Amino acid sequence: MNTAAITHRAAGVVVGIILLAFLVGPILWLISSSFQLDRELFTVPPHIIPHEPTLDNYRYIITRVAPPTYTGETTGRRASGEALSLLPALKNSFIVSTVVMLVNLIFSTLAAYTYARLRFRGRDLTYGFILTSRLIPAISVAIPLFVLMDRLGLLDTRWALILVYVAFTLPFTMWFLMKYFGFFPPEIEEAALIDGCTRFGTLTRILVPMAAPGLAAAAAFAFMGSYSEFLFGLFLTRTMASKTAPVVLVATAINHDVSFALSFAALVLSIIPPMLFALVFRSYITRGFTGVLAR
Amino acid sequence: MKGRLLMWVVVLILTASLLPVVPTAVAAPQVPLNFMVWTFAIDTINDNIKTFKQRYPNIDVRLTDYNWGQYPDTIVTNFVSGRNAPDVLYSSDHWLQQWAAAGWIVPLDDHFPQIKEMAKSFSQYAVEGMSYNGKIYGLPYYADPMAFFYNESILKKAGFSLPPSTWEELLTQAKVIKEKGIVKHPIGFGFSQQEPFSIEVFISMVYSRGGDLFDKGGNPVFDRPGSATIKAIEWVRDALKADVLNPESLQWDGVQAGNAMLAGTQVYSISRASALAAYNDPKQSKEAGNFKIALMPGSTHQTVGFVRFYAMSNQVPRRGKEALDAAWNFLNYFGGPGPDNSYPVVRRWALDFGLGFAQLPLFRDTEILRSFGRWVDVPLLQRIGSRYSKVKQGLTPWFAQWDVFTRAELQKAYLGQLTPEQTAKNMAAKWNELRRK
Amino acid sequence: MVTELRLGRAAPRPGRPLGLYPYLSILPTLLVVALISVYPLLFALDLSLHRNVLTEPLAHPFVGLRNFAETFSSYYFLRSLLTTVRFTAMIILGTIAYGIGVSLFLNRPGRLAGTARLAILLPWAIPTVMAAIIWRWIFNGNFGVLNALLAWVGVIPEYITWLGNPHLAPLTLVVTHVWKWGPLAAIMCLATLQVIPRDLYEAAYIDGGGGWSTFRYITLPFLRPTILLLLVLETIAGFVTFDLIYVLTGGGPADATTMLAWFAYAEIFRFLNLGKGAALAFVIGALTLGLALIYVRLLSTEELYSS
Repeated sequence: MNTAAITHRAAGVVVGIILLAFLVGPILWLISSSFQLDRELFTVPPHIIPHEPTLDNYRYIITRVAPPTYTGETTGRRASGEALSLLPALKNSFIVSTVVMLVNLIFSTLAAYTYARLRFRGRDLTYGFILTSRLIPAISVAIPLFVLMDRLGLLDTRWALILVYVAFTLPFTMWFLMKYFGFFPPEIEEAALIDGCTRFGTLTRILVPMAAPGLAAAAAFAFMGSYSEFLFGLFLTRTMASKTAPVVLVATAINHDVSFALSFAALVLSIIPPMLFALVFRSYITRGFTGVLAR
Repeated sequence: MKGRLLMWVVVLILTASLLPVVPTAVAAPQVPLNFMVWTFAIDTINDNIKTFKQRYPNIDVRLTDYNWGQYPDTIVTNFVSGRNAPDVLYSSDHWLQQWAAAGWIVPLDDHFPQIKEMAKSFSQYAVEGMSYNGKIYGLPYYADPMAFFYNESILKKAGFSLPPSTWEELLTQAKVIKEKGIVKHPIGFGFSQQEPFSIEVFISMVYSRGGDLFDKGGNPVFDRPGSATIKAIEWVRDALKADVLNPESLQWDGVQAGNAMLAGTQVYSISRASALAAYNDPKQSKEAGNFKIALMPGSTHQTVGFVRFYAMSNQVPRRGKEALDAAWNFLNYFGGPGPDNSYPVVRRWALDFGLGFAQLPLFRDTEILRSFGRWVDVPLLQRIGSRYSKVKQGLTPWFAQWDVFTRAELQKAYLGQLTPEQTAKNMAAKWNELRRK
Repeated sequence: MVTELRLGRAAPRPGRPLGLYPYLSILPTLLVVALISVYPLLFALDLSLHRNVLTEPLAHPFVGLRNFAETFSSYYFLRSLLTTVRFTAMIILGTIAYGIGVSLFLNRPGRLAGTARLAILLPWAIPTVMAAIIWRWIFNGNFGVLNALLAWVGVIPEYITWLGNPHLAPLTLVVTHVWKWGPLAAIMCLATLQVIPRDLYEAAYIDGGGGWSTFRYITLPFLRPTILLLLVLETIAGFVTFDLIYVLTGGGPADATTMLAWFAYAEIFRFLNLGKGAALAFVIGALTLGLALIYVRLLSTEELYSS
């Protein structure tokens, strides 16, 4: 190999290592911090590998009982009501995200198929309407929605969140599925139609099984989009009846009366589900993008 | 294979979401009271609630705590939405007038005539801070002066035997300490835009120079040339430029500024007087025993005295006599002498955390005096509280909004983005704008 | 690429007449979107036309455009608009550069690239606020690992206050944003790269083309549609940024990171002026909508003249 090829190779390795460090480094640092206590976190220089690793942070969050290292602690080293409410918050997050994912799949599949295959009056108009709504920023509708939900009696309920998240994830999943469906040749469905099948039937019996990977990707987007959402969670929730993980985590992390270590442990617990989700659904997601963007 | 894995993941997620949360079923007592606080010593509060419940088993106190920096914003939203409004809550003299003017908290005089008599046993500036339109809105949770602290051992190491008595002296001392390489940033404050204490620190700097913010008619006087306010801003600018004031102060809240003291990386700070109890606690501080309180530097040494108190919301009178009685028992137990005249909660805060108090009889309580004596020069603290403390000027229904605006403007001045004169002008303009509405 | 945003022709349909089916099938989506996204925007307009201060719950007089006038004429609005524009420009550059650069690396063979293709999804999977909490700790002026790393390597003589410095604080927002959203850009670019026919590159190699010219004349044209899509997405993202500010800087120091959405939030929750906050929020919505539509218009004319 000549020098050009070697430097090319070496450069590739260097770039790769830096990239991996940038991608994964912060997560590893978080995990390491979650196994330390505050007194170790506040040392200079920081300990990348904990000198006194401990499970106490996780113990405190999960059992809600203060371990010996946390009893008698004072300002800036303790827990708060919110820090200890992580598990109910995660439960809310899961329920909301799962329901949003399912509702999203049903509504967007129906709509996407219609836009992909059918001609009807108002097709362009309604499509434009739905997609353009995606461009409306959350902050612009947060206060009106707050008032709306209050009047509907849905403030501080999971239903308010589900409703809002469905509305905000639908345009994207619908667009995505529409593009995805568009690349399947319509001949099989047409054959079925001639045989007497309904449009709905062709959708459910023919296209859905074929397009399952795309549907999986769309489901993943809907789930992860709902799980991560913060602004509406902040505005529309008041108590643990509906507070989701991002809301509780942020309240914990910026509360300087709460131990940093505790908030990191809570954070680690909260990022595991979406990371797992992303890894499991990885091939569907990448295939989905290829299908939509690249053909 | 992938499909199988997928199915199991989905099943797992769904199952996990169906797991019940662990609540504890409790026999339902008659009167619930929603109690909202900012996060400080939540386990102590819960313990107090437990002992309260033993005394009043028919009152069910439900505690919710919020981050101190976001506390007023959150409480406002709770009141506006109505659905999660508190019954009893912490409040501060910053926000009393705003919340009272909005009708969210109610005057105690109207429902509990005994408060007038009880108020005579509170110190004057506390009553002032809890009153609006001649009526009293709360019972004190704690009351402290803003105090100037220094690390005596580091001071001695730098060759100084006395704390600074003027702001110029403070700058000189800090520069010497920095030059000698003892500490990189000797001074630090909690000046974050989210920190309600920051305005109290700043106003102390103005008071200690003998300055005023407003005249008797409520008009701003701080924008006059050469005012104490402008001088205070210039001092902070100079301290930042000389790099003796930690630039992180602009993002720090009071807790973080305190952490720097505890770690021995800072020599001077201004905070509530009770913070000294933590600084001198060997369990928390490497430098325990080295911290001392001093008069606020400046010609008059005056400082801000504040009161944080328990207030009652407009929800309680709506629920009738039972709720009102429960609320009074609560307020009396937590902020007052309590059923046995023993000041159960106030004494505990004083003994366990050194929190200052506005209840006059406690000033002669020997146990408290002894406990305070372990971390502070008690006569000096009492002198500061009684002779040098003034209520924040400008407490009006719009003070809270002006406060939030001013925090940002002051930061711009400290960073040199605006001149001190321009900043004072902006602050005055905002005051007049809010006042007109 | 604009065909991505515009509807194509539907397939011709054999079989029975459709009747109500199309309308029924899009009805749920339409209803939800109209109720949650569009109606509230109109309601925001209504709120902004009245004087609405949270501490005066009973007085809501109609004030016409006064809230808008007061908001626009204040120098704080201009300042937050400038901050937003600057931030948006930085994240557009950062994300697209990251997306293109990283996707080129991910497209290579080998174990390193393969591992990177796995790891690339992780930052994107982490919710924005949680990523912000992680980076807040990394940027911590006294105990953060970034300062420690830079000092250890010798790049900085002493620890830097990232979050407390008005010039650096916006950069922390940019870095966190690129860390979290760059991977998505990279995946999108990668998907586009992978359909570029190999023989184009081989032909170029035979003709003696170097790395840069193959990139410029082969890769880039294929990537262009995706880059344009990213441009639109990142512009909208920049104008709407809220989560990052809430966690990392709270608008400070000295309002250096007070961008439009945060300004609207502060108007409502700190200054308790619902009328002005709603006016601002409505304007943000109109701005992003307008920008996006301009983009779409520009891009569709581009498509007509290019290729």
